[in-house]
Amino acid sequence: MKLKSFLAAGLVSVSALAMSTAAMAEDKTVRIVGFGASSGVVGIFGQNSSAAMSAAFEKINAEGGVTLADGSKAQIVTEYYDDRCNAEEGISVLRRIATTDALIAIGPTCSNVAEPLFGILQAKVDDSGDTGLQFPVFTDVAIKGGLAGISEWVFRNTPSEAKMYDDLFAWIRATHPDLKTIYGGVEEDFAHSRFTWYEVMKKAAEQHGFEVVGEAQWLLSDTNFSNQARGMRREEPDIVAISAHPFTTCGMLREMARQKIQPKVLVGLTSSSSLETLSGCAAEAQGLTIPTSFAPVNDDARSAAEAVVAKGGQMDLHSASAWENAMILRDVINAAGIEGTPESLDADRRKIRDGLSTLTEAQGLLGVNQRLPDGEAVKPYVFVHAKDAGWEVLHDPGS
Amino acid sequence: MADASGANEATAKMDYFFIIDFVQSLVDGLLFGTTYALIGIGFTLIFGVMRKLNLAYGAAALAGTYIGLAAFLAFDAPPPVVFLASALGSGLIGLVVYYCCFRFTPTSYPMASLLASVGMLLFIDEVVIHLSHGMPFPYPSVFSDATLELGDIWIRGDLLFVFGMCVVAMAVLFWLLYRTPLGLATRAVSQQPRAAQLCGIDSTRVNALTFVIAGILGGVAGAMTAAAVGVLSPIIAMGLTVKGLIVVVIGGLGSIPGAIIGGLLVGAAENVFLLLRGVTERDIYVMLLLFLFLTLRPGGLFGSTAGRD
Repeated sequence: MKLKSFLAAGLVSVSALAMSTAAMAEDKTVRIVGFGASSGVVGIFGQNSSAAMSAAFEKINAEGGVTLADGSKAQIVTEYYDDRCNAEEGISVLRRIATTDALIAIGPTCSNVAEPLFGILQAKVDDSGDTGLQFPVFTDVAIKGGLAGISEWVFRNTPSEAKMYDDLFAWIRATHPDLKTIYGGVEEDFAHSRFTWYEVMKKAAEQHGFEVVGEAQWLLSDTNFSNQARGMRREEPDIVAISAHPFTTCGMLREMARQKIQPKVLVGLTSSSSLETLSGCAAEAQGLTIPTSFAPVNDDARSAAEAVVAKGGQMDLHSASAWENAMILRDVINAAGIEGTPESLDADRRKIRDGLSTLTEAQGLLGVNQRLPDGEAVKPYVFVHAKDAGWEVLHDPGS
Repeated sequence: MADASGANEATAKMDYFFIIDFVQSLVDGLLFGTTYALIGIGFTLIFGVMRKLNLAYGAAALAGTYIGLAAFLAFDAPPPVVFLASALGSGLIGLVVYYCCFRFTPTSYPMASLLASVGMLLFIDEVVIHLSHGMPFPYPSVFSDATLELGDIWIRGDLLFVFGMCVVAMAVLFWLLYRTPLGLATRAVSQQPRAAQLCGIDSTRVNALTFVIAGILGGVAGAMTAAAVGVLSPIIAMGLTVKGLIVVVIGGLGSIPGAIIGGLLVGAAENVFLLLRGVTERDIYVMLLLFLFLTLRPGGLFGSTAGRD
């Protein structure tokens, strides 16, 4: 009887221990945070990124989470910090994130935040003379080219606009050999818009034999475009390229329609291939052609887009990067063997950084993304155009 | 010889284009400047009656415009209804601003109401951005395809409509101020608030109504700005506030004719400087204009130097 009681007690103890171990494994978490502009006039970008990250981590957690060094599983917890597209706030937010148990941050939204923010990170790893922040950042939205080179702690999964527009103008040259002239329109006070026109679109257009016959400039909050459109009308360009965000893109497109400016091809900024442009001026945007690294063209992309919509966001080329970043980080964490304890936090961050730096390719929603040694990415893309209040794939250079 | 005549022809053509562009810029600026004038009138009306600046005015005008937009999106309301809803909505928000920021703040601390209105400006701005997600929405325009062509000068039908609407709003305001008992009471409170109270005029009621009237004018300005662009975005709130303040400084705080002239002047100057110096320098010259007025003529064009009791 005594033996029976002893065995029963032992069985209960072992079961309880096993259950508590299982419960402990289920309780294990690792934190990956997002940050960017989730309020203010460009807040929609951050809101979409936040929704995409949440949806992606929910899917990862539902599939069991990530594997730690000891073989146990951990769930990913996340939250999103707002920097309001302001450089000072962005720097403050990242410093705050670095003091938490976050392993890595996904962000920021704005290039004018990214550039100074990357400057506070240690430029070269293991440089003892550099006291910069040693914290990995995996950028999803800020798209201005070449920013990852600022620090070896920075990695970006943003499309290469230089490559995309080069291909777009090559394609326009091939499909419209009769076109000769191009007129640019640029939002002068927004870093991304300026960079993309002067350093990307204009150079790509000239490289493919188009003559730039003029440029119109305006500011982010301008409401009157008649002067700019008049100069454009006088030049009668074959192509008009607008490097601006949806509000002023719509304002300029309306003014162009009013002044009966009808270019044969209309090219837009990558960030304008969004719902915002269509909700602002679907009729005037008809035919607007934009290269983008996201379109719901396959099952994975469609199901990701649905998951993001269920989280209250929209999937576009920026939020698609946030989704992809989450999936890439899952694979990196699984392979890196992180411990996920408070004591191993610095080492875990370093393992993730090193894991990202050794990647040469990663699976994206439209195909395989090439990871470059400088931390940048080259992603598959398609050309879309606005048609009947929606974005339709016009050409797939990869097909 | 042929080269020389070709060069002369090209120069003459350029001169002609420049004159056309200059006149066109001036016309566009004057037409669009009426919206600045309306915002300036709103600022000046409140200052004239209460001797206080309402910095939430531009944001309230924008929020009212969004109420009109909501009517458009939810019920597919026709443009006149949308414009009316924008104006009335802005008037209502003006009343809320009055009660939140001015009615109960101590009159002996002028900074209290000023800072309260700054807080309200930020609050309204955030609410609008939060509800709209910062996204631009189409705003109904009228006569957007109509153009009056006078040779090479094109006058936009929608800007003419904006101009007409603003002129009507100003005319109604003048009628209210100079032909109705309410206007008499408003002018009395503006000139001698204590004496007006002794005569039985309820200054609180007059102040509240002034905020409503100024709000309605702001709503008309916001609606006409959005109608001229065809798109409404929270981005325009700060522009309305800054332009309105420049207009009242140039026109003279407290002067309605000054606000009208100031609005037209700022609208025209903006477009002409845009043509002459480009967009990156445009605002520098407008701000220089503001600086010149502040230093050389602080009372503005029509500013009153007389005090009140």
